Amino acid sequence: MRRTKTIAAVVVSLSLLAAACTSATKKATSSSAANNPSGSVSTQPGSTAKASHKQGGTVTIVNVQGQTWSCQFNPFNPAVYAESLGFVYEPLVFVNLLNNAAETPMLASSYTWGPDKKSITFTIRDGVKWSDGQPFSADDVAFTFNLMKRVPATDLYSLWTGAGLQTVTATGNTVLLSFAKPAQPYFWYFADQVGIVPQHIWTTAAVAAHPDTWADANPVGTGPFKVSPCGPNNIQYVANPNYWQAGKPYIQKIVYPGYLDNGPGNRDLAGGKGQWGSQFIPNIKQFYLSKSPDNHTWSPPVTNVEIFPNLDPSHPQTSKLAVRQAISMAIDRNKVSQIGEDGQQPPANQTGIILPTFNMYYDASAVAAAGYDKPNVDKAKSLMASAGYSPSNPLKLTIITITGYTDWDASLAVIKQNLASIGIDLTVQDLAQQTFNSRLYTGDFDLAYYGEPTSGPSPYYELRQILYSKNTAPIGKSASTNYERYINPAVDALFDQYPSADSATQVSLIKQIGQAMLNDVPIIPTTESVDWFQYNTKDIAGWPTPADPYAQPAAFNFPDAGQVLLHLYSKSAQ
Amino acid sequence: MRYVVRRLGFFALTLWVALTLNFFIPRFMPGNPLDALRARTHDRLSPAALEQMLTSYGFKPHQNIFVQYLEYLRNMFTGHWGISIGATLGEPVSTIVWQALPWTLGLVGVTTVLAFLLGSLIGVVAAWRRGGRLDSVLPPVFVVTSALPYFWVGLMLILVFSVWTHGWLPSDFNYDPDLLPEFSLGFIENVLKHAVLPAATILIASIGAWILTMRNNMITTLAEDYVRMGRAKGLSNSRIMTDYAARNAMLPNLSGFAMSLGFVITGSILVEYVFNYPGLGYQLYNAVQNTDYPLMQALFMLFTVAVLVALLVCDFAIAWLDPRVRATGSR
Repeated sequence: MRRTKTIAAVVVSLSLLAAACTSATKKATSSSAANNPSGSVSTQPGSTAKASHKQGGTVTIVNVQGQTWSCQFNPFNPAVYAESLGFVYEPLVFVNLLNNAAETPMLASSYTWGPDKKSITFTIRDGVKWSDGQPFSADDVAFTFNLMKRVPATDLYSLWTGAGLQTVTATGNTVLLSFAKPAQPYFWYFADQVGIVPQHIWTTAAVAAHPDTWADANPVGTGPFKVSPCGPNNIQYVANPNYWQAGKPYIQKIVYPGYLDNGPGNRDLAGGKGQWGSQFIPNIKQFYLSKSPDNHTWSPPVTNVEIFPNLDPSHPQTSKLAVRQAISMAIDRNKVSQIGEDGQQPPANQTGIILPTFNMYYDASAVAAAGYDKPNVDKAKSLMASAGYSPSNPLKLTIITITGYTDWDASLAVIKQNLASIGIDLTVQDLAQQTFNSRLYTGDFDLAYYGEPTSGPSPYYELRQILYSKNTAPIGKSASTNYERYINPAVDALFDQYPSADSATQVSLIKQIGQAMLNDVPIIPTTESVDWFQYNTKDIAGWPTPADPYAQPAAFNFPDAGQVLLHLYSKSAQ
Repeated sequence: MRYVVRRLGFFALTLWVALTLNFFIPRFMPGNPLDALRARTHDRLSPAALEQMLTSYGFKPHQNIFVQYLEYLRNMFTGHWGISIGATLGEPVSTIVWQALPWTLGLVGVTTVLAFLLGSLIGVVAAWRRGGRLDSVLPPVFVVTSALPYFWVGLMLILVFSVWTHGWLPSDFNYDPDLLPEFSLGFIENVLKHAVLPAATILIASIGAWILTMRNNMITTLAEDYVRMGRAKGLSNSRIMTDYAARNAMLPNLSGFAMSLGFVITGSILVEYVFNYPGLGYQLYNAVQNTDYPLMQALFMLFTVAVLVALLVCDFAIAWLDPRVRATGSR
C-alpha cells in the first residue's frame, strides 16, 4: 500500500505519467425510485433509436480492474457481474439514473403495478432468443427470481428478505411479483439490476447444484454481445447475431483488457489505444484532452464524498451539533473540488442532494436560509465559540482516510486549512484500506472521510443508506451503511412513507430529508463523486453526452454499459 | 551424510514454522474477507447474501481456528489451494498461480540470471584491470543505477522508449491484449517486445550489486598466495583470472545468487505494477489488499518453499564446491 502511494506521489509530481491511485475508480449504481407512478411503459427501444447505422467497428474499453480477468461471467458473482450484466445478460427494464429515472423497456415490453404497489405484472417481450438459439420466455424470468429464493447467496439485493417478495409466478407471457409491502423503491433492483438467466441452462445438474459459485465461462444470455474468447489479459466480446433489436449492436467487437493500475490504462487512453475510459486521470487537460481534439470527457456526479462525524454520545465533540455546523460552514467546497479533485468532482452541498443530477429534489432557498450556501467563517467561528473553542484554544480532531487515495489527501489538506481558521486542529490519519473499513464499520473514529457510492435514480437511495436508523449499529458492532450512527425517528418516518407515496409526495419527502440534513448535519458532504468517463470520437460515435444522457457513461455501470454499447457506432463503417 | 540430514531437518522445521505463521498472520491482520467484499461492492449488496456467497466458496469464519489450521496444512501439501475470495472471487487459486507463474519465471528469472552473469563478468574484468577504463566507468555507473527505485527506472524507460517515441516499445501487458496466445513466431516476437522494458528495468536496477560484490571478492582473491603462485608458474593471464581467482571469488556470490533465484518467484511487484505485467508479485499484492486468505496462503507457501529449496540447493552446492564447509571442524 505504501509503495503504491509512493508511486502515485512521484508520478503526480512528475506530471509525466498518471499512475495515481484514486479514490473513485469504481462505482456502481444501485437503488431506485421510478418516477413513473402507474408505470406502464409503452415506448419500444427500436423506435427510440434516432437513426440506424451500419454494423462494424471495434471499441476498446479502458476500465482499470486492478486484477487479471477470471473469465467467469456468473451474473450473481459481484466480482464479475459488471462484465456480464448489460453485455450478455439483460434486465427487464432499463432505468436511467441520470435522466429522472427515464425507463427503456428491455426484456419486459411493459408492466403494471397492482394496488398499493404491492404487486407488479411484467409483460414479457415476444421474439427474444437466447444466444444459443433457444426461445426466451416468461418462465425464464420467474425461474431467475425463484432461484434467488432457493439460493440466498444469489439474492444480492435481499428481495426475498428485505423487500418482502412473496411469490413470483409466470402465466402465459406475463410474470407476477407479489410483495408483502409497497415495493416501488425496489423496482430499480428487480427490474434494472437483476439480469435474467436461461432456465434451460441453469437447471442442468452441474449448475443447479451451485448456481452461486458456477463459473459460467461461456455465458448464454439475451444481450447484444457474446464472449469469444476470454483470457487473463483480455475479454473479447463479439456481436450476438440473433440479438432481438434488429440491426443492433452496430459495434461488432469489444476489446476489454484487464488493466492492473491507472497508469498504464491512462497512457493507453491518451495514446488513443483505448476509446472508452472509466477512471480518474489527474491533470486531465494536459494529460488527455490536449493529446487529441477527438478526446473528450464528461463525468456526471452521482453520489457524495463526505465527512462522517461520529454522532455517538461517546464522542462528545463530534456529537455536538455546533461543532458539526461550524465544520460544514467553514469548508470551502469549491476550493476542495478545484485543488483536491482537479475540478473533476464538483462541490457538494449540505443537503446531500446531488446537483445537477437530482435538481428537482433540491431546495436552494432552504440551503440559503440555513446559511450553507457559501462558506461562512465568521458564523463558524461564533458556533465554535459557543462550544467553547477558539483559534487560541483549538479543538483537536482526527479524521481517518484511506492510504493511497491521493485526491482525498489533497482535499483533506484544504479542509485542514479551512478548519484551522475557526479553531479546529485537524489531524489526517491515513489508514490501510482494511483497517479503515473495520474502523468505519465499527464506529472507531471521530471523523471519517469516505464516499459511499451507492446511488439510485433518486436521492432516496443514498440518503436512506446513510440516515436510516435500521442501517446503523451500536459502537463496536458493524453498521451496514449508517456509519455516523444517526438515529432520528422523524427522519425514519419520512423514509417509511416514501415507498407508497406518489411521485410528487416523494419529491417533497426528499426535500424534508434534505432539511433534516441542514438541521442536524449528520454528515458533511464535501464533493460529488462522479462516473469517470473519457471518450474518443475519432472513429466511434454515439457516446452519452450532457445533451443526451441516455445512460450512466462509465463502463463499470451495469446494465448501463449495455445501453451505451447499443448506441455506439463506427464512423468508418458507415 | 550427517551434514545432509541436518540440513534436511532444518528445512522441514523452517517450512513448518513458515507455514504456520503464514496461516495465522493474515488472520491477525485488520479486516476480513467479508468487509473487503462489502467495500468492493460499495455496500450496495445484502451483507447476508455476500456472507452466504463467501461460505459457498469455502470461507468458514465461524469454524474452530485449529480445525481450519489442520485442514489448511493438509490442503497445502495435497495441492488443494481453494478458491479465491478476494478481487478474483470464484477463480480457483491454482488457476491464478499457473497463469501468472510462467510470466514471472520468464521475466524475473531470466533477468536475474542475466544480471548475475553479466554483473559477475563485469566485476571480474573490472577487478582484473583495476583502475582501467572499464573499472572506472561501469562499476560507479551501475552502483548509482542500482540505488534508483525500480518504478522510477521503469517510468523513465516508458517515457523515453514508449511515450516520446510514440509506442516504439510497448509499455504495458505481457503481449498485446487482442492477440491470442499461440505458438508462432509473431506471438513470440510480441512477447519478447513486451518484455524488453520491464527486463531492462530489473537489469539496470539489480546488476550493480553483483558487479560490486564480485569486484571486491575478486580483488581480495587476487592478493592470495595461490594467485601469486600461479603467476610464478607462468600461467596465462586468462587462466589465472578465470580458474584461479574468479572461481574462488565466485563462491560467496553463489549463495547470494541461489537466494535471489528463490526470490524470483515472488516476482517484482513494482515492475509488474508499472508495466501492467500479470505476474505473481502483482497477485500477491492484490491478495493482501483484498484479504484473500486462500490466494495469500498459496502464494506465501510457494514463496517459502522456493526460497527454502534454493537455500538447500545452495548449501549442498557450496558443500560440494568448497571442502571447507564439509569439515566438521575441530572438536
